[in-house]
Amino acid sequence: MQGASSGIGYGLKYQARCISDVKADTDHTSFITGTLSLREENEVHLIRLSSGGTELICEGLFSHPNEIWDLSSCPFDQRIFSTVFSTGESYGAAVWQIPELYGQLNSPQLEKIASLDAHSGKINCILWWPSGRNDKLISIDEENLFLWSLDCSRKAAQVQSKESAGMLHYLSGGAWDPHDVNAVAATCESSIQFWDLRTMNKTNSIECAHVRNVDYDTKKKHILVTAEDESGIHVWDLRMPMVPIKELPGHAHWTWAIACNPEYDGLILSGGTDSTVNLWLAPTSTGDGMTSESMVESPTHLVDPLLNSYSDYEDSVYDLAWSSREPWIFASLSYDGRVVVESVKPFLSKKWTQ
Amino acid sequence: MGVDDVPLDDKAKRMRDLLSSFYSPDHAMSSSNSSKFASLDAINTISFDADQYMNLLVRKSNLEGLLQKHVEMAAEIKNLDTDLQMLVYENYNKFISATETIKRMKNNIVGMEANMEQLLQKIMSVQSRSDGVNTSLFEKREHIEKLHRTRNLLRKLQFIYDLPARLGKCIKSDAYADAVRFYTGAMPIFKAYGDSSFQDCRRASEEAMTTIIKNLQGKLFSDTESIQARAEAAMLLKQLDFPVDSLKAKLFEKLEQSLQDIHLNTEDIINVLEDSNDTSIPTTANDASVHEFVNAVQAYQVIFPDSEKQLVKLSQDLITKHFEITEKSIKEQISVAKFLGILRVIWRDVLLMNEVLNESFLPDYSLEAAQQVVKQFVSITFSHLVRDISDALIVSIRTKQKEGGEENALQVALETSKNAVLKGSMDVLVDLHHLLDDNLGLLQKLRDSIVDWVQEGFQEFFRALYNRFLLLSGRNKSVGQTQGLTEGLVVDKVLAGLVLVLVQLSAFIEQTAIPKITEEIATSFSGSGVRGYESGPAFVPGEICRIFRSAGEEFLHHYITMRTQRVSLLLKKRFKAPNWVKHKEPREVHMFVDLFLQELEAVGSEVKQLLPQGVLRKHRRSESNGSTTSSRSNPLRDDKMSRTNINTQRARSQLLETHLAKLFKQKVEIFTKTEFTQESVVTTIVKLCLKSLLEFVRLKTFNRSGFQQIQLDIQFLRAPVRETVEDEAVIDFLLDEVTVGASERCLDPTPLEPPILDKLIQAKLAKKREQNAIAP
Repeated sequence: MQGASSGIGYGLKYQARCISDVKADTDHTSFITGTLSLREENEVHLIRLSSGGTELICEGLFSHPNEIWDLSSCPFDQRIFSTVFSTGESYGAAVWQIPELYGQLNSPQLEKIASLDAHSGKINCILWWPSGRNDKLISIDEENLFLWSLDCSRKAAQVQSKESAGMLHYLSGGAWDPHDVNAVAATCESSIQFWDLRTMNKTNSIECAHVRNVDYDTKKKHILVTAEDESGIHVWDLRMPMVPIKELPGHAHWTWAIACNPEYDGLILSGGTDSTVNLWLAPTSTGDGMTSESMVESPTHLVDPLLNSYSDYEDSVYDLAWSSREPWIFASLSYDGRVVVESVKPFLSKKWTQ
Repeated sequence: MGVDDVPLDDKAKRMRDLLSSFYSPDHAMSSSNSSKFASLDAINTISFDADQYMNLLVRKSNLEGLLQKHVEMAAEIKNLDTDLQMLVYENYNKFISATETIKRMKNNIVGMEANMEQLLQKIMSVQSRSDGVNTSLFEKREHIEKLHRTRNLLRKLQFIYDLPARLGKCIKSDAYADAVRFYTGAMPIFKAYGDSSFQDCRRASEEAMTTIIKNLQGKLFSDTESIQARAEAAMLLKQLDFPVDSLKAKLFEKLEQSLQDIHLNTEDIINVLEDSNDTSIPTTANDASVHEFVNAVQAYQVIFPDSEKQLVKLSQDLITKHFEITEKSIKEQISVAKFLGILRVIWRDVLLMNEVLNESFLPDYSLEAAQQVVKQFVSITFSHLVRDISDALIVSIRTKQKEGGEENALQVALETSKNAVLKGSMDVLVDLHHLLDDNLGLLQKLRDSIVDWVQEGFQEFFRALYNRFLLLSGRNKSVGQTQGLTEGLVVDKVLAGLVLVLVQLSAFIEQTAIPKITEEIATSFSGSGVRGYESGPAFVPGEICRIFRSAGEEFLHHYITMRTQRVSLLLKKRFKAPNWVKHKEPREVHMFVDLFLQELEAVGSEVKQLLPQGVLRKHRRSESNGSTTSSRSNPLRDDKMSRTNINTQRARSQLLETHLAKLFKQKVEIFTKTEFTQESVVTTIVKLCLKSLLEFVRLKTFNRSGFQQIQLDIQFLRAPVRETVEDEAVIDFLLDEVTVGASERCLDPTPLEPPILDKLIQAKLAKKREQNAIAP
């Protein structure tokens, strides 16, 4: 299963933890990533895959005041993105805009649209409205969940509502349900909590410890995938939150990042601290067929769900991103600042290519 | 014509042709015109023209030929003349003889007429005489006939009047058959005239008959009478139009009643078997009742010859009941000997009944039932085995745990369970072999099937065992929910040690138990016949071996995960609690190091008990000891540079250099395959824990003191951890990584001075020694 080094590499100067697909760029397959260096000057890289798909080109290089812990691109404007950053002692979050004509400037500066400065503790992530133009943003810190209303033209962001996760629940991340824009899944130490944004109430929870990352299946409703430290990957059906409908072994060490393919159903990518990226095929059938299928599959385990293991990394892989424009392409980022873009085309089954 | 009868020589033929041509002139006419061109051959035809012939002859022949022809012709003509003369004579002769015959006939007929007339006269006189006799005897005959009829009638009347008395006599002498015959003979008369002239007579005889019927019924129901007599009684009753069916039903009920008794008896037998543990004695009670039943059935069969079906059903019910009871007792786990005993009893009963009911196919029926029961017996035996093994596992571990940390608790548990597996399966094999060895006809017939069931049973047994192991290890949640709950097995807290025991047990099953069992099966349970060849033998050791091999790996992995999870939790707590950015100066090695080492110790002791020692391959780190901050020239660097757009001016930072150094070192693979040895398992666990430590460090930001604390802790860990593992290079690398990771995440990475570091470590070691001195 050793993947040949077929990927296209790109090196960042410093260590890095986050990469994001630039969804709004419909003309190019591009990704945005930022470095994590405590003592050096941090950078945000806008990377584009060349039209031939053989090279990664740096489209923009911007300095960022602090080390970046989380970064996500705005789904409707390719020039806007958000970061969560840390000065070492305190955390901050902001929405940035890449200046126009940045290619012609010598040292282009990022334009700060808004600072999401209502947080006090460690900020974990910022979630954009799943698709389309909307002014809503969610930011999650260890204790609270904020819903923001962003006004790009007036360069301001306002807290719409805020809810505390409750005592002894340290939030660590989350995902916005693409099928139900009122639902957000937030991970905390021992469970995944589901929030209704209209009432800002907890609606449901799944008991599941040590979740590192969570992602909704964009093609299938009710399907949620989680990556956990030791116990690998779990696929959940939100209608049956007691037991996962599928378990994947994950990685030799922790499974850190997980991403469902935006186009191909059941194709899951996971990145781990064992310096590998694994490509899984874990089809889930919804509805009544599910029980029968799981019954058929459970005793045999005949089909290996692991399609491929990319091991061309030198350090832990902390983030992954599928390209939404070319959904068979993904970018992965290892801690040593190496971006690797791979195509999963050889592993797509006939079902999808036809 | 006489000519036809003459044998046809040439001459005669020609003559006949000539004659026929003479008699049919039409034919001659039609062919005459064509003969004009005839040749010399036309001499025999009708259209013969002498002149023409002459001319032709003269023209064609020379003198000599003519002369010769002349001679020939003359001779022929002479011949023809003679022939003609003879024919005429013959005809004449025939005419003469015909005339003579006619004349003779005429003479004969002349005297006949007178004779005929005489005959007629005589016949006439015979007829008239016979008529006379007839008329004179007619009256007398009619009278005689009348008298005869009257006499018959009178006789019948006499019989009917005598009937009551006669019946009475019959009753007295027990001649029921005669009585019935008499009565049925008189029946038509009673029917016709019973209401009028013979009323009394009829009443009397009916009364007699009721007595007879009563007697017959009594006879029928009495068990003391001979079967023949009872059968006769039944037949007589039937002749009397008595409703036999109701009698039949009654008798049948009686039979069923006796069946009930037998059932009770059978249950008793099983109880007796349970109690006395002896198979030879307790059959007597049952024997008697079955014999009784058999006799009754036989009687019934004779009495009601058409009742076979019902009886068969009855006896089948009996057998079914027998087997049901057996099934019930199987569920209470009886020994093979007892099971055999029960089967023997049943089979004897079946044979007994079969003697009576020849066409009932009772043996076949019971064979089917026995098949079910034996199959069930085999499968239950195996399920008990599974339970025994898992019990052995749990109990031995639990009790040992309660007794307190005994040194070899896990080892003992492993040995017990190994023993349970091997001895248990051997015992089962031996027990089941009894089934094969037994000479009971029933089992003989099932022999092939039993072989199959045992093989299948083992296959299923190992699958079930695997599932049970999964359940015990808490590995498979879904299996636990579907099966564990029903079996009432509560795995409240899975012990890591137990999982490790399962690792070894799986290996043992794969390597030792299965070959042995395979061998045993091959010697005593081979040669299955029922299963087709295409489906192969039921017991597939290869498949089981595969299952357990993968199970061993799975459990080992699970064990490692469980252990590392505990350490992870420890580390998580460690890194969560302090504010690392405001950490105070390190004063001593942090407590979590102790806890971590304790965990490792626990792993070490568990592993030592169960896993074999691996081949010692400690290579003292010699050449691979590059410091993390040393910078070396590296072809990879150029490669890396070319791929990036980073300004190379700034790239020569310390960070990149550490990266590059790491590129070298990472050739030491961190995540290698774990082997089933003490060192390999411990090393894997240590590696995973240190990697986790690294990941936790990377998520934090440290001030100088925080970094120094980490540095101190790691430095202290180095020595004891290196003791335990097989591959020091990797551990060193990981420990270095943690320090480097901490320095990268540090705002001011100034390491502790080595003397201070050393002093703190020494202090910790001294303290530890002190504790150890007090503790034991």
